[in-house]
Amino acid sequence: MRRRSTAARIILSALNLLVILGIVGPLVAVVFGSVQSERALLSDVLNPLPKEVTLSNFQILLAGGPQGDRVFEQASYFPANLKFFPLAFANSVVVATSVTALTLTLGALAAYAVSRLPFRWTHAFMYANLTSRMVPIIVLMVPLYVTLRQLGLLNSLPGIILTEVGLLLPYAVWILTSYFAALPRELEDAARIDGCSRLGAFVRIVLPLSAPGLAACGVITFILSWHELLIPLVVSSRPESMTVPVILAGLVSDFYVFYTLMMAISLLGLLPTVLLVMLLQRYVVRGLTSGALKG
Amino acid sequence: MTVATDVNSADRARGGRGEIGAGRLAALMTAPAAVFLLAIVAYPLLFALYLAFHQVSARELRSGELPFVGWANFLALMNDAVFLLSLQQTLVFVALSVLLEIVLGVGIALLINEQGVRISALTRVLILLPWAVPPIVNGLLWSFIYNSKYGYLNVLLYNLGVIGEFVQWTGNPDLALYLVVIPYVWRTTPFAVLLFHAALQAIPSELYEAAEVDGAGTWHRFLRITLPLLAPTVLVVLVLRTTFAFMVFDEIFAITGGGPGNATWTAAWYIYRTSFQPPFEIGVGAAAAYILALIIFAIAYLYIRLLHRKVEYG
Repeated sequence: MRRRSTAARIILSALNLLVILGIVGPLVAVVFGSVQSERALLSDVLNPLPKEVTLSNFQILLAGGPQGDRVFEQASYFPANLKFFPLAFANSVVVATSVTALTLTLGALAAYAVSRLPFRWTHAFMYANLTSRMVPIIVLMVPLYVTLRQLGLLNSLPGIILTEVGLLLPYAVWILTSYFAALPRELEDAARIDGCSRLGAFVRIVLPLSAPGLAACGVITFILSWHELLIPLVVSSRPESMTVPVILAGLVSDFYVFYTLMMAISLLGLLPTVLLVMLLQRYVVRGLTSGALKG
Repeated sequence: MTVATDVNSADRARGGRGEIGAGRLAALMTAPAAVFLLAIVAYPLLFALYLAFHQVSARELRSGELPFVGWANFLALMNDAVFLLSLQQTLVFVALSVLLEIVLGVGIALLINEQGVRISALTRVLILLPWAVPPIVNGLLWSFIYNSKYGYLNVLLYNLGVIGEFVQWTGNPDLALYLVVIPYVWRTTPFAVLLFHAALQAIPSELYEAAEVDGAGTWHRFLRITLPLLAPTVLVVLVLRTTFAFMVFDEIFAITGGGPGNATWTAAWYIYRTSFQPPFEIGVGAAAAYILALIIFAIAYLYIRLLHRKVEYG
């Protein structure tokens, strides 16, 4: 390996520090904002450190509003939608989990066919998948709204789930195909000589061997579903079927909500996916690279 | 595409032994995904095309009759100064954010690829975090940072003596678009870093060693080895990120809501406002959406051609 001089190492370390501050800074801002009341925040504006550390913003959120008649420092008023925050969080979990399960199952089936049973039309199928990733979701929203209304799926979690599966499947197929294609065929061939059916070889050999690929695809799908705003925003307007991003979007034009409370919601909204990336980074990295470069 | 181009002959032979044929099995396995593709992407895409050529607003939706209007919706767009401004601002947004993503992406990838610098291990661990932040949360957290009463941007710049009094950042129409670019780039650069880092790791170190023996300096090695071998990935990131930047929505929604005035209206925002806010000009919105989609498709086509040529390293 090349050796750097001491001066070069100091400069490189400083640059690293700058990048780390750039990454962590905005996240620290969320944490600082969420642990104090607006009054404390305003008490000494020039000091960026939190003036108090309290969990009351979170307590209010999880309790669905301020309790009793105690002085409410966190918000001059409490938007009606915020009462549904715990439900919205649960909805987001249900949506992201269902979307991940469905996408992985259907994606794995299709990806296996594409990587092991290539015909001319499976190639066309892959190009259709690639192309559909480039369709801006906003183009599809009015037609999807009309269609879901006709099907009676408006304002329902299944409506959100099915729509997201449709939009995330192409990406999943793309990622999984590159994983399956990289697996050696010999094991499958051996199993098939022993009398295993093709589907049996897929379930007993290919799936277990591609566990890292499935994990990568699954965690990426979960994260993208958790992030999705436009679909649930357009497809569900009732509080009962809102997801976390929709609740957050509702606060945007509401000038009376304190930022401190908003940062508490933001922190709860970003925590699941940030933790997932921290824990499963290796898989996320491999999934994202193979989804973009191979194919 | 790295998939093999032929079903092996043993499979064909099996077709006759009672096992389901390869073709039928492939069809069965892809069918569910294909149905989703048709129902959630293809059909709505055609539906939107239909809407783009019909007069569809709140009134027509109530009556249920959608008169055919030919190219009228597209003509209306060409005469709509706000639409043209939105397109223009989208182009500025895309050009700026993609350029920054690539420059920062390559820079940070080189930085974390340094084995001799201990702290780069920490950068490697943290780099993906902004990508994990939901876009709408990203928008809200930056509007907190930009806040004119207590935002940390004001606090930082005031304490450093750069500004004499707190500034209403997002209220300035000359700055607003750039103030959305920063959060967007913050969230999306990690993806670029990831791809560039993977490409850097694929460059054999012997190349550098040989160049060093030949007396090539650091800068020279970067220009003659790193950059050429990084070029295919730069192209992939360029095309991929450009298509997605054209669709920017969440950060605009959260930070400026298109404002002040029309200063941060972008294509996706224009379509959203036209279609989903009174008077619900859905036909015009669909036409605008098609123009956006066609721009993106032209770039997507480039991407497919690119993959066709097969990206290789080393």
